[in-house]
Amino acid sequence: MRDDERDLVERAKRDPRQFGALYDRHFQQIYRFVYSRVREQSAAEDVTSEIFIKALKAMPRYQDTGRPFAAWLYQIAVNAIADRYRTLRPSQSLDDFHDLSVAGPALEDLAAHRDELRRIWTLVDQLPAPQKMALVLKFQEDMKIEDIAVAMGKSAGAVKLLIHRGVSRLREDADALRPVE
Amino acid sequence: MSMNHDPELDDILQDEELVRLAGLLKATRRAEPPLDDAFRSALRRQLMQRAWGMGEVRTPWWQRLAGPPALAWAGAALGILLIGSVVVFTANQGPGTNVLTVTSPMADEHAVQLQQPILVSFNQPMNHAATEAAVQITPATYVTFSWQDSKTLAVHPSGGTLAPNTQYQVTIGPSAKTLSGQPLTRPATITFVTRPAPTPQPSPRPTPTATPASQLTGEHRLAAMPSGAFYAPQWSADSSTVYFVGDNGALESVSAAGGDPKTLVKDGVSYPAITVAGDRLAYVRGGNVEVMTLADGSTTDLATVSQVSALSWAGDQLLWATDSGVFKAAANGPEQLIPVSPGVTVVSMAPDGAHAVFQSGPAFSVVDLVANTSQPLAGASAFLGWSPDGSRLMYATDTGTAVASTQGSSIGTLPAGDASWSSQNVVLIGSDTSVSAIHPDGSGSTLLNTGTYRHPVWAPNGSTFAYVRGGGLWIATSPALAPEISPLDQAASVVTQFMNARLARQQDVATTFLDDNGKQAYSSSGLPLVINGAATFSRDYIVMAELTGQDPATARFVVRLVLSRGPIDVSEYDETLTLVRAQASQPFLIDQASAGPTRLLGRGPEVVSVDVATGSMRIVFDSDLVSNTVADGVILLDKNGKRLGGQSTYANRTVIITGLNLTPGADYKLVVLTTVQDVSGREVSAEYDLEPFGPVAPNLAGPAAPDPGLSAAPTPSPLLGRSPFPGGLPTATPTP
Repeated sequence: MRDDERDLVERAKRDPRQFGALYDRHFQQIYRFVYSRVREQSAAEDVTSEIFIKALKAMPRYQDTGRPFAAWLYQIAVNAIADRYRTLRPSQSLDDFHDLSVAGPALEDLAAHRDELRRIWTLVDQLPAPQKMALVLKFQEDMKIEDIAVAMGKSAGAVKLLIHRGVSRLREDADALRPVE
Repeated sequence: MSMNHDPELDDILQDEELVRLAGLLKATRRAEPPLDDAFRSALRRQLMQRAWGMGEVRTPWWQRLAGPPALAWAGAALGILLIGSVVVFTANQGPGTNVLTVTSPMADEHAVQLQQPILVSFNQPMNHAATEAAVQITPATYVTFSWQDSKTLAVHPSGGTLAPNTQYQVTIGPSAKTLSGQPLTRPATITFVTRPAPTPQPSPRPTPTATPASQLTGEHRLAAMPSGAFYAPQWSADSSTVYFVGDNGALESVSAAGGDPKTLVKDGVSYPAITVAGDRLAYVRGGNVEVMTLADGSTTDLATVSQVSALSWAGDQLLWATDSGVFKAAANGPEQLIPVSPGVTVVSMAPDGAHAVFQSGPAFSVVDLVANTSQPLAGASAFLGWSPDGSRLMYATDTGTAVASTQGSSIGTLPAGDASWSSQNVVLIGSDTSVSAIHPDGSGSTLLNTGTYRHPVWAPNGSTFAYVRGGGLWIATSPALAPEISPLDQAASVVTQFMNARLARQQDVATTFLDDNGKQAYSSSGLPLVINGAATFSRDYIVMAELTGQDPATARFVVRLVLSRGPIDVSEYDETLTLVRAQASQPFLIDQASAGPTRLLGRGPEVVSVDVATGSMRIVFDSDLVSNTVADGVILLDKNGKRLGGQSTYANRTVIITGLNLTPGADYKLVVLTTVQDVSGREVSAEYDLEPFGPVAPNLAGPAAPDPGLSAAPTPSPLLGRSPFPGGLPTATPTP
């Protein structure tokens, strides 16, 4: 955890009224994550509210383990989303949530990969829940393994295994994913 | 394919195909989800309220005293003892008295007076110092405290008044305590909205109750009126002569100054109607429509008719209605405009010839004579008259006189009585007991006199009117409604009605205030007329009002629309409306509209009104500001972006820039930078821009808006209803 964030966290632990700064810093990230999972605005608002209210209440008990504060928020989020998923499945297409333009360095020959890009997250969505969550946190949220472990309440080794198994499951559909030659 | 290398994956994915798939997963970028900024802001506020409830986390006192955990048991035992004591104390206090509650007569009010303290009442005597320290107010406001009694706290804004058009949230935090030391269990927030700045009442502004004496002059009887069918007297164009139907249907004329009536047609006349130019008078006689040229008394038969129910002029075009249709006089004889069904009576045709009022049994409707479409007049029991331009009509209902558009939409309600709408946009309401003048929007009601004033008819000059009393035709002269409503006030009234219709989600009514350009601005591809969304459009107010042109009269308004979630205002945006009217007798219509960016509330100080005069500009904020952030934070630029000179002073939420010499009609830009800070340390959340014009002197009607200039106490323009102008300059600078 960076010093400035550690300072914010310590202040909020002492006085919950200082929680606003942490909220301002992490709201967008958490909301985006939640929305990508529940894919419905009012549901995303409900879940995001729940996450931050829980975080505020639990703030005095928060223990700094050296991991980013966001990892803890993700942990609350993962649980809140899991609760939500027990009663609700997202109905909207994943295409709405993954921009097929590329992030970072350009994909060469984007057109050839567009179909793969479109389908790969559909396949991720069909993975068992722990594998899916591990892949989302790793590849979509760009989190470190250790932080994913915090968020999912698992060991780093277990997370690595989930990622390996998840990507391997995707490979089973490799033929379907390959671009048409 | 290229991608960022993630060393964490090296020992997880060694297979080339797995690496390729990982690359694909990383390559997709999440699209931005839809996000309601109001939700973000509201959640933050909710969290902060909860945080207040949690208070500061303190180490339990026994741990601080005793330290070693071994002593905790002793602390726990003491705790049990204390709980027992509280139970006994509570039982002795009687039911309910142990719960500290907070109330306020202002809570949830939406039009709180500006010049009063915020009253906070507790149900138990309070510790004054602790309670005062627990008070938090947004927007940031300097306050002082006084106690009306041991349970009632009065919170006084240091500047003397609350900010206009502002939602206040007054939170009593949990550190508030009773005299016995009992704290609030959770913070209590009192929310209310203040009313617009007071509109200075023009002086004198007579009201029905304040003017027992007659306001009329020159009252006198002109002629005898027969009993039986009544046809409205007709005025000559110069308001000097009245034409009326006398005994035996004689068409007579009489000078408004008095004298004997002169008979023009000896008998059988009905439905007299004079042209606007006053040169010809049409009527029905002996089954014919005749037109008399008044200059020489010659008559022309235009058509043979039966069962006539209405006859009138639309400009030079003569229209009449029978039981079979509405007709106009054409070169080759009568031409039917639309047919009329059996059982339907045409009551009247509009002065512009575009509409007519039909009656079928007890039901009235307004009919478009071109499109042949009909709209019901809700609750109508009788038709009373048209506005001079034919765009509005009046009819009697159970509750008074309804003013409606030609689409049948109700615009307002005036007192009950016989009504006549003048060229000066003043409606006379006459009855058996009184006569009053009132503007069509209901403003400026003035009792002119008591007594019998039936069937009043304004003369073209808008000051003299004819009426019926007893068996006679009378006339009187009314003073102009004092003061005359300025064009800016009239435009403001239109804006108010337009926004009220939108607040009530009455799209059809709101549309009546738009011209074709305005309709385009609020079309499906433009601004929303009815505002939908997660946050509710809850209120609006005028931030700035300017007369921007004279011929035709144009006015520009910046209107703020406030969106709320539940009782809490969460965001706002400004709409800039340009209103135009072709003639003084016509209503202003909204011709152009545009919207500014949405701003979240609760993020920092907000501008709530701007008043522009030639020599000065006044900008009112909702918060008390740090005065040394104002001079370089509130600036005025010319159209080239060059900062104008002038002296900037700040006091009581108000910035006044004086020493200006604004050019009428020129573009300027007021900029409020994010360096401006309120007394709680929050800065303006985003730069606020407003583009005023140099003010145009309103000389069309009514008094010019006085220039605040360098005066210490400017008198604002008498805007109707939602005036953004505060009542006067602040006189004191509060010190934090």
